[in-house]
Amino acid sequence: MGIGYAVGVLGGAILAHAAYATIQYRAVLKITEEEFTRPPMDVMMELLLGLVLCMWAGLAVPTKFLSVLPHSEENRIVSLPANLDFMIFNHRGRALPADEDLKLKT
Amino acid sequence: MAAAGGVSSDDVPILQAENLTSNVKSIYYSRTFLSIIGGVVAGIWGFTGLTGFIFYFLIMMVASIGLLAKSKFSVLTYFDNWSRILIEGVFGGLMSFVLFWTSHTDDLS
Repeated sequence: MGIGYAVGVLGGAILAHAAYATIQYRAVLKITEEEFTRPPMDVMMELLLGLVLCMWAGLAVPTKFLSVLPHSEENRIVSLPANLDFMIFNHRGRALPADEDLKLKT
Repeated sequence: MAAAGGVSSDDVPILQAENLTSNVKSIYYSRTFLSIIGGVVAGIWGFTGLTGFIFYFLIMMVASIGLLAKSKFSVLTYFDNWSRILIEGVFGGLMSFVLFWTSHTDDLS
């Protein structure tokens, strides 16, 4: 979460700086009365850099995708409520021989 | 016992609805943010007319590729169909794009 936000803020700051540089460039062009079609090359590079950073942040920051398949591993319902109605303590397991060496077969 | 058999192919698969909603919201936030950023860049760059709209659809295509990569290219694991990740949010973001595009066009004039 932290790095994505930081990259997004950095990208936004670069874009804001590019906007300010463009406004100043336009003021200079007004003084020299030249025609304009596009900002200077270094501002365009700055725009591209800011765009790339913001695109990366825009894709990485929103929450990561969660699986929608009902049978996938992370969607299993594994915790059952501790409901005493379904707990049986009086059963035939008492009659089995108590062998401490018995291991669970896995 | 035999009634608890397999699912026929006509049945609608049950999906985790809240995860699907969260994923769709995540795409929507991504596309809205990218539309705004694209609008600012288009305005500063000085695009006018059709060029700006072409730039917007280019940004959306790159965003689609990015979202595909984010879903590790197995779209059906995270969504119920392909159109969600490719088309959803594109036209909603268009309005935000035009707003920020026109507000920053004056940077060059």
